[in-house]
Amino acid sequence: MINKDRFISRRDLLRTAGGGIGGLALADLLRAEGLQRVSPLAVQSPHFAAKAKAVISIFCYGGVSHVDTFDPKPELLKRQGETIPGKTIQVSQGTPGGLMPSSWQFKKHGQSGMDVSSLFPHVATKVDEIALIRSMYCTSNDHAPALYQMNTGFIQAGHPSMGSWLTYGLGSENQNLPGFVVFADWRGGPIGGAPNWSNGFMPAAYQGTPFRSAGDPIVDLKPPTEMTPERQQKWLRLLGQLNEEHQAKNPQDTELAARIRSYELAYQMQSSAVEAVELQKESAATRALYGLDEKPTEYVGRQCLMARRLVERGVRFVQIYSGGGNFTESWDAHFDLELNHGMHCAETDKPIAGLLTDLKSRGLLDSTLVIWHGEFGRMPISQRLNGRDHNPQGFSVWMAGGGVKGGTIHGATDEYGLNAVENRTSVNDLHATILHLMGMNHEKLTYPYNGRNMRLTDVAGSVIREIVA
Amino acid sequence: MKPTLILAFALAASLSAQDLPEKAASVLQQNCYACHGAGKMSGLDLRSREAMLAGGDRGPAVVPGKADSSRLYRFAAGLDKPSMPPGKTLPDAQLLVLREWINSGAEMKAAVVSKVDPAADSAAKAKLEERPITAAEKAFWAFQPVKRPAVPALGKTSPVDAFVTTTLQAKKLKAGPVASRRVLVRRAYLDLWGMPPTPEQVDRFVADKSPNAFAKLVDELLASPHYGERWGRHWLDVVRYADSGGFEYDNDKPNAWRYRDYVVRAFNTDKPYDQFVKEQIAGDEIAPNTEDGRIGPGYLRLGLENNVKNDMTRLDELDDLVATTSNAFMGMTVGCARCHNHKFDPIPQKDYYQMQAVFYPAKPLAYRLAPAAEVSAWEAAVKKIDDEQIKPLRAQIVALEKPYKDVIVAKKREALPEYMKLALRTPEAERTAGQKLNVIQIEKTSASDDDLVAAVTSADVARRAAIREQIQKVEESKPPMPIALSITEDSRKAPESHFLLRGAPGQFGSVMQPGVLTVAKWKEWDFPEPPADAKTSWRRKGFAEWLADKQNPLTPRVMVNRIWQNHFGEGIVRSPSNFGKTGDAPTHPELLDYLADEFVKSGWSIKTMHRLMMNSETYQRASDDIAANAAVDPENRLLWRMPRRRVEAEVIRDSILAVAGNLVDKLGGPAVFPYIDPALFQSSSKRSWAGKADTDPSTWRRSIYVFNKRSIPLPMLDIFDKPDSVTSCARRNRSTIAPQSLILMNNAFVAMEAEKFAERLRTLAGNDAAAQVRHAFRIALAREPSQQEMERSVAFVKAEPKGLVDLCQTMFNLNEFVYFP
Repeated sequence: MINKDRFISRRDLLRTAGGGIGGLALADLLRAEGLQRVSPLAVQSPHFAAKAKAVISIFCYGGVSHVDTFDPKPELLKRQGETIPGKTIQVSQGTPGGLMPSSWQFKKHGQSGMDVSSLFPHVATKVDEIALIRSMYCTSNDHAPALYQMNTGFIQAGHPSMGSWLTYGLGSENQNLPGFVVFADWRGGPIGGAPNWSNGFMPAAYQGTPFRSAGDPIVDLKPPTEMTPERQQKWLRLLGQLNEEHQAKNPQDTELAARIRSYELAYQMQSSAVEAVELQKESAATRALYGLDEKPTEYVGRQCLMARRLVERGVRFVQIYSGGGNFTESWDAHFDLELNHGMHCAETDKPIAGLLTDLKSRGLLDSTLVIWHGEFGRMPISQRLNGRDHNPQGFSVWMAGGGVKGGTIHGATDEYGLNAVENRTSVNDLHATILHLMGMNHEKLTYPYNGRNMRLTDVAGSVIREIVA
Repeated sequence: MKPTLILAFALAASLSAQDLPEKAASVLQQNCYACHGAGKMSGLDLRSREAMLAGGDRGPAVVPGKADSSRLYRFAAGLDKPSMPPGKTLPDAQLLVLREWINSGAEMKAAVVSKVDPAADSAAKAKLEERPITAAEKAFWAFQPVKRPAVPALGKTSPVDAFVTTTLQAKKLKAGPVASRRVLVRRAYLDLWGMPPTPEQVDRFVADKSPNAFAKLVDELLASPHYGERWGRHWLDVVRYADSGGFEYDNDKPNAWRYRDYVVRAFNTDKPYDQFVKEQIAGDEIAPNTEDGRIGPGYLRLGLENNVKNDMTRLDELDDLVATTSNAFMGMTVGCARCHNHKFDPIPQKDYYQMQAVFYPAKPLAYRLAPAAEVSAWEAAVKKIDDEQIKPLRAQIVALEKPYKDVIVAKKREALPEYMKLALRTPEAERTAGQKLNVIQIEKTSASDDDLVAAVTSADVARRAAIREQIQKVEESKPPMPIALSITEDSRKAPESHFLLRGAPGQFGSVMQPGVLTVAKWKEWDFPEPPADAKTSWRRKGFAEWLADKQNPLTPRVMVNRIWQNHFGEGIVRSPSNFGKTGDAPTHPELLDYLADEFVKSGWSIKTMHRLMMNSETYQRASDDIAANAAVDPENRLLWRMPRRRVEAEVIRDSILAVAGNLVDKLGGPAVFPYIDPALFQSSSKRSWAGKADTDPSTWRRSIYVFNKRSIPLPMLDIFDKPDSVTSCARRNRSTIAPQSLILMNNAFVAMEAEKFAERLRTLAGNDAAAQVRHAFRIALAREPSQQEMERSVAFVKAEPKGLVDLCQTMFNLNEFVYFP
């Protein structure tokens, strides 16, 4: 059945909430805890107790080659230049080549002995925290639809993204910051744009807020320079007074009261959002851990460290895109794979490992689920001589912290890495598992729209129990 | 040990190995083939051993010899989810058969599928497709003919009031008072134009003492083209209007705006709604020689367009048409019946595929809006420019790049790994399959754009840029030709389409004929036979005529409910695109039927409906709370007061422009591109937003003219819940969140408009702070300031150096500014 009570109270925010607040001064509104309760981002109980409270998604846009990173395939070297017997592989650009060996060496790491290639030397030291899924598949061979699917469960734009579902389901722990934050690569955002962090058919409260990595983190966070904070505060005070007088006629109207409060929140957000990403307060050791003061890790390092600070402050979902634009700028290595993945891994390896180390040492790793993924994997055969085409039929994703079983490997691709064959894991399964780790039953987290109870997982998905601690 | 297990072991003894295949076949036949036979749900076919081993979306169904590792067994035994068959538990005996059979190797005598007689199979399929509709289902209110109720005799002039008062009286509620003139005039302007009235417009109305002053005002507002700009936007929500196609490249649809202008025009001219419906579904078949007949079907071109073309993406595009059409015109969720019969409403899956058959023959067409002779002259002129000017220029670029490319390619070949070089050295006849592929790749080696960027000298870069500029100039010199996004078909004979089992591509059921919604039929509906010279199948014409028929129970109810919703904030049915079981029942069923009947009788005149609704006391009531009523009906479902609600995103932006006095009052035409911070859209080079500066007057247009790029929403509109134009939006969300306040506090456009508003006030009132404040309130809020407001505001303006500008920004941020009064 449709959960109508909840829908109504959250859909339009506060329609039925009671409590007189007319005539309260703006400052008093801050203390009106009753209002906090009815904010669309107010904290909601999960369906069941869970360890994870927040998610950090590191999205390697363009598609990471699993056979060069986390899924070793010795057959590719043994049979280099040959075809796969009985298989004709279609590629999206140019002509398919024969099997292409990886340019990188794989080695076993940690107590678990998980294989990781030399592209990720730092992450490799963290394998005992990592649950690796080697049997992912998705249903689109194009970037934007595959990105949409990874983010929203559907290849068409227009559905709420995972961050929207989590903030809708759980609210946010900090009302002075957005509950769902997105960092783009400096080379640009991912193809597909805003629908990747869209609230879809949900209210705008659940939309992802793009954060910049330098300057003011949010567009329109600060007024044009000539508007000083003192000046702004003065007109906001006048606004509060005029709004109160207007509200006096209808003191019971919580929508109007919430709008008054939204100015208080916005005002506070101006300082709290800046404070949340002030990295100079971090110790030299921490900065070094993330590779903050060196090339080429500086940029992703900043984002990863900001992500930790945001999660620390109660933000529910942070997404960091590595790669933007086309081809070399993203992980989309149709040619020059060595150059492409060499560069992107060098940018991200140390910051990601640093993030895991830092979260752990602060006791935050248990409550923070870190997910590393692209939108699909890459082909075992060559394309344009030294590149690999997209492969939606088999790829790797890993998770760490947040109640996952470290050091586990789930599923497998075939001997070439072409198709996921063992414990095939759909994007719905992945989403169901993430929601589960956050204490949500993916079949119960629904939002009514156009006559249906919509879900992140549509009508499918099962939790991957094997990787849940 | 559990009793069932003891039983199981006892049973196991009774199973003999050679019977197993037959017994298993019988268990599968009984329990599984309804879905995992010809239907191949989730891609799984259990009718042969090979198909089971190949498996479905989840992987192989059986691992011969290992029941415990076989999905078939684990799901059937409920060990893993989803347990199968859904909602049913297999008897232990059957489960045991499956277990033993898999453990013994899962052999099948012969593929079950070969035993099936094709004729019987097809009859069985056709039977599966039927889903009878019961009398009780048919009796649901929304499917009943519209029946004009008697207007309650309460001495009310407006029938709307008579119905509303009756329900209020039943609950012993007393309606609130009529609102003040100033409130009414602001309400009517925001509602019909989407902008506040000017002080002069307010004064004129307040001074009009005639008893029909409000009716005159409504007529005046309806006669202005601003009315179409406002109410056309409501319709654009319903038809998911956008100017780009989404998916990988989000390609622009540069001519979509002609449909937007068509909608605005339709509202302004009060085009009869039945005609409006027919033109959008089948204008090319009904009125092929009119502009509206060609532009109207642009409705069918507004959905997402996948650049990947295959069976699945084609089905998705058709699904968009079926789902949107049923939502928008019928208030039904037929889209829910794509894979199975509708779970809540009596909508058989077959209805979905009959409706799909209506749109199946439709194909996109860029229709040139000019007489044939003009079009061919234009085509010849464009070809001449291409051949004589553009092609030689392109050849120059190729020639310029060639020497660079040759060097790059030669270098790349030298750098090949040894196994690739070996492939090249191996004589052609001796190459392995892989070597052949690699050689093809080597031969196709090319220089990428990045390679060229690194290699080409700056002199040649400049030369190339000059040639490109020339090409651009020649392109721009091509004569213009107006184009409408439209629809055509291949011939009068429609291609065959099928019922699809589980909605899966290629899982053909019976051949489908076009059809209408079975449960809403008042008689058998025959689709017209197209005349011999018809260019299309006339399926859409047949469907459109059913939709627009006076007896259709859904079409008029759904539309009057939408009109009501936009006047009152909520519909009489509060789920405006879902008149089914999971939707809301009408709060005023008789009123709904009365309005629907009037609508049809008026010749489907939307403006008549506006007059009927707005010239009621119900519409003109004050929006203030009355404690006693709120205690009984806190949600105001019975309309004892006018609902308060935030205005829509466009109204906020348009009101700011209008109040500041720099709205560019131009109607229609190509879309405009206001500034968006690049941080919000930088992505692929194929995706860009040619945003103009805030100071560029081309952007000071009403928000309906802002380009609707699906992947790059305008933040100012997006954050205030403008829908994302992916699916039909029946009712906008109305959220209240801090980022909205941030935009109105900090965005440079808003700050600039505050400056302009201040200039306007200075022009009107000089340096007299009291006069400035008074004008500010009159312009922004259509009223005089209260004494306290006046005192506070004047003190503020006097105390602060930029006090007047900041007062103006304050006005844009007031609750009152963004709320219907």
